[in-house]
Amino acid sequence: MQFILNLTWREIRSSWQRLLFFFLCIAIGVGSVVALRSLIQNLSQAVGTDARALLTADLEVSSTNMFTPDDISRIESVISKSTIIEARNEVITTAAMARPSDKQKEGLQFVELKGIEPPFPLVGDFRLKDGSPFDISLLDNKGAVVAPLLLDTLKLNIGDSIHIGESDFVIRATFNEEPGGQSGFRLGPRVFVAKTAFEETGLTRSGSRIRRRILYRTSENPTLLVKELREKLKGTILTVQSYRETQENIGAQFVRTENYLSLTGLLILVLGGVGVWNVARVFVEQKRKTIAVLKCLGADSRKVVLVYLLQILALGLVGSLFGILLAQLTLWFVGWRFGADLPEKMMYGIASGAAAQGIVLGVLISLLFSLLPLLQIRNIKPSLLLRDQNNVRIRKLDPTKWIFAIFTISGILGIAIWQAGSWKVGTFFLVGLAFTSAILYAVASLLTRSLKGMKKFSTFSVSQAVNSLYRPGNQTRVVLLAVGLGAFVVIAVQSLQLNLVRELDFTRNETLPSLFLVDIQRSQAEAVRKMSETAAGEPLTAIPTVRMRIARVDGAAIDYSEREVRQQQGQIGREFAVTYRPQLEENEKIIAGKWWEPTKSVEPEVSVVDDMARRLKINIGSTITFDVLGRMVNAKVTSVRKIDVRNTRTVFVFVFRPGTLENAPQTFAIPIVKQIPAVERARFQRSVIDAYPNVQIFDVQDILTTVTKLVNNFVLAISFVGSFVMLTGILILIGSVSLTKSQRVYENAVLKTLGAGRGKLFTILVIEYVILGLLAGLIGAVFAMALSYSVTKYVLEFNWEFDAMLVVAGILITALFVTVIGTVASFDVLFKKPLGILRSQ
Amino acid sequence: MIEIKNVTKTVRSGADDLTILADVTIEIPDGQFVAITGASGSGKSTLLGLVAGLDAPSSGEILIDGENITVMSEDGLASLRSEKLGFIFQSFHLIPSLTALENIMIPLEIRGEKGARERASELLEEVGLTNRGHHFPNELSGGEQQRIAIARAFSNNPKILLADEPTGNLDSKNGQHIFELMTALHDDKKTTLVLVTHDQELADRAERQIRLRDGKIILDSTKGQVN
Repeated sequence: MQFILNLTWREIRSSWQRLLFFFLCIAIGVGSVVALRSLIQNLSQAVGTDARALLTADLEVSSTNMFTPDDISRIESVISKSTIIEARNEVITTAAMARPSDKQKEGLQFVELKGIEPPFPLVGDFRLKDGSPFDISLLDNKGAVVAPLLLDTLKLNIGDSIHIGESDFVIRATFNEEPGGQSGFRLGPRVFVAKTAFEETGLTRSGSRIRRRILYRTSENPTLLVKELREKLKGTILTVQSYRETQENIGAQFVRTENYLSLTGLLILVLGGVGVWNVARVFVEQKRKTIAVLKCLGADSRKVVLVYLLQILALGLVGSLFGILLAQLTLWFVGWRFGADLPEKMMYGIASGAAAQGIVLGVLISLLFSLLPLLQIRNIKPSLLLRDQNNVRIRKLDPTKWIFAIFTISGILGIAIWQAGSWKVGTFFLVGLAFTSAILYAVASLLTRSLKGMKKFSTFSVSQAVNSLYRPGNQTRVVLLAVGLGAFVVIAVQSLQLNLVRELDFTRNETLPSLFLVDIQRSQAEAVRKMSETAAGEPLTAIPTVRMRIARVDGAAIDYSEREVRQQQGQIGREFAVTYRPQLEENEKIIAGKWWEPTKSVEPEVSVVDDMARRLKINIGSTITFDVLGRMVNAKVTSVRKIDVRNTRTVFVFVFRPGTLENAPQTFAIPIVKQIPAVERARFQRSVIDAYPNVQIFDVQDILTTVTKLVNNFVLAISFVGSFVMLTGILILIGSVSLTKSQRVYENAVLKTLGAGRGKLFTILVIEYVILGLLAGLIGAVFAMALSYSVTKYVLEFNWEFDAMLVVAGILITALFVTVIGTVASFDVLFKKPLGILRSQ
Repeated sequence: MIEIKNVTKTVRSGADDLTILADVTIEIPDGQFVAITGASGSGKSTLLGLVAGLDAPSSGEILIDGENITVMSEDGLASLRSEKLGFIFQSFHLIPSLTALENIMIPLEIRGEKGARERASELLEEVGLTNRGHHFPNELSGGEQQRIAIARAFSNNPKILLADEPTGNLDSKNGQHIFELMTALHDDKKTTLVLVTHDQELADRAERQIRLRDGKIILDSTKGQVN
């Protein structure tokens, strides 16, 4: 053992430079995994997975309608028997438009209004900007506590008033963070007012989207209570939720995201593994003589394999540690570059669990990918010291090798499953990766083979360069695979971004509305329509919308006590805005059943969007029972529609045939397509809100700006990860150059002896890497276009446009990278004197 | 005692079989100094390699101290070399990543012996390179490298020392010096010494000379007697 340890140390001392690429491949792979995992873990911590604080309670019963006396008595019948209830309060929330009460002041802002009553919050901490605890008395006499953003956008100060609905509120304080932190997408800054004042704004009368919640704090785990409440409230539209379930959902979501993202890291690590395999292979080849000497001096194969295995593991360990350092640098970079768009409380340190995983992964990948090349040591015979023959030829059907190959593949599969946190995803990942690599490799082989034909028609330099790509032990296909994969990821992401941004480009897409007015009362509809027409200068229609929920499908109630159904609750249990009209819209297509005649029907008929029809498992002729503010409407499904969402003003999941809903409580919506210049747009919005404070106006331009920014950040993040893939590819390229250097040195010595000057040799070198780079770029670009096309067309479902500039730039930049790096790495070869080299051969 | 019995070695050369050694039989008693000579390609180095167990004969047997090494496994042969054999090559074959001293230590460390460093230092002194112990092979001259190789070969006190053209890559002065060193150690430690050489002058100084041509023995003479 002493011998093994001594020799391992001595070999590392002299060979570490040669294994530097090995070390870097592992470092970058581990760095990616650790950085991605830490990022998600930190993010999940920052947004607060503390669901109890998010809910501000242990248990909530919520509804989008007023609680009916029946609802209350059902709830009370369960709650009054419970011994674990400690406190209770009610809150109401809605989105509303706010403007300064002072009409002279400009500005209008969407806000999320929350009406609260003491004790608040039941759970968690609520502190004002100055650090003092929130005091409910601040809300007395129409006081409001608002997010600081509102003061900025409306240019107001504490003490000023804002107008919401029909009421004015005095801003008494601001807060940095509300209980439980900020989670999810939010339309506007939060405004807290007293619950009683909320009821007086008039917003509750208009049928706006209002959510009422009864919250409870419990002394013990409320799971049993939740069950009882659900049982009691079966058949009503009330939903019951405990913080434990929320916690479970949020936690599961973050874990899923973390696992998926770490697969991207694993991709880089596996690519690094390919680099490891390559380095180990050539390393053993270079160490043949030393191994033969050791065997000649009496060391058996097992000892020698152990020496090199230990060496690889030690470097894998150090590489992993270096990877953790890289991950920390990446996190600091993320903080610096994206900090403004990430939660304020976000930390940018390495998560210790992720670091530990990174080390285990780095060492495992080093071991698995170097095992097969190291096994070649067994085949090195000491007799090569007497007669150098190429006796390291792989013996066919070597059972040990097969066993280790199976062990290696199982190991990588195990790692993929572990990282993905799922058998299915891990297996898919590995099979997908193997498939992609196989195709890339096959294409690379085909392309290099077809190059042979070029030699006939070209100059000496070109034909020599092509020859170089075939030299014994050449790394051409490995480099093409690695760099091609890097180029593939980067170009694909860029292409997707271009298509996505193009789609979101408001000025190009004339079918998207620019403004969206909703919650218009029936009595206001005509006046608001006219105002809008004047502003837009185009004829407009007010679309009636009735809010309803699905109560039963084919007579069966939807049972939310079932976990699977509850997971879809957001999709089918929500309140729908439903319209009725005689005609099919331009962007709609019937895919099953028949659209109705443009006459009124006596029996309710409904047309359903294809996605929802699938989700509800309904067919033509099925009956859906809708709850329209307590009144049940049985509608027969007569058609299933598909909507082209790119080309639309509105997306209605359910459309009724005229004749049923005309007299139901309804509000109107007006989409304005025409682009209105910013100043006029603001003025128009203000005048509508001044006259009709209950109306809500969505400025689509603002939303799109936010979304575009999000997309751009997302793309930047993926490109950042993609560039790591590219970097690993480049590392493999540099590694390959140095591994085949001795061969190149010898060839150059022979060519120099035969009269080739340095200029000629340099030309050959450059041409070789230009060809290699162009091929890698081409492979990357073709595959990137295929991926971008499929994702755009079939996943995102919008038009894909080919961008020639991107493809050309992608190929050229890849070629430039490969040429510069390859040439620089081989440059010293040109200056070696031929005599010494030829003698030593 | 080395017994080479009817040993034949053939290798494939293109489509044909090439016979390197043909039915060679030799017995070398303990402590003898034998020189094997012959032209290039006569099979000298191959014979030496077979005795060291670096390669296997196509037919015939080789026994060392009565043990048939032709039936031994790779690892068994490695262990035999570690216990009984020392080998010196024409091109030294020092391990480039180890210092001179560490190269000498290797056989001792493989055997798991204690005090490897001290023993290696003594040997370094014996070959007159005490101050070069921390140098790497590429920092040493050819003569110095071969002296290190000799020290390494003697480090495990082998019963048999096999030397393949040990002076072939050296100038005559250095060659002479190496030869003196080897024979002095042979005399001192009573080691069997089998020397493959081109140099007739060196061969003449051996107790016994075996000359090969085309894989066959054409002369086997011991000083004072001709077979």
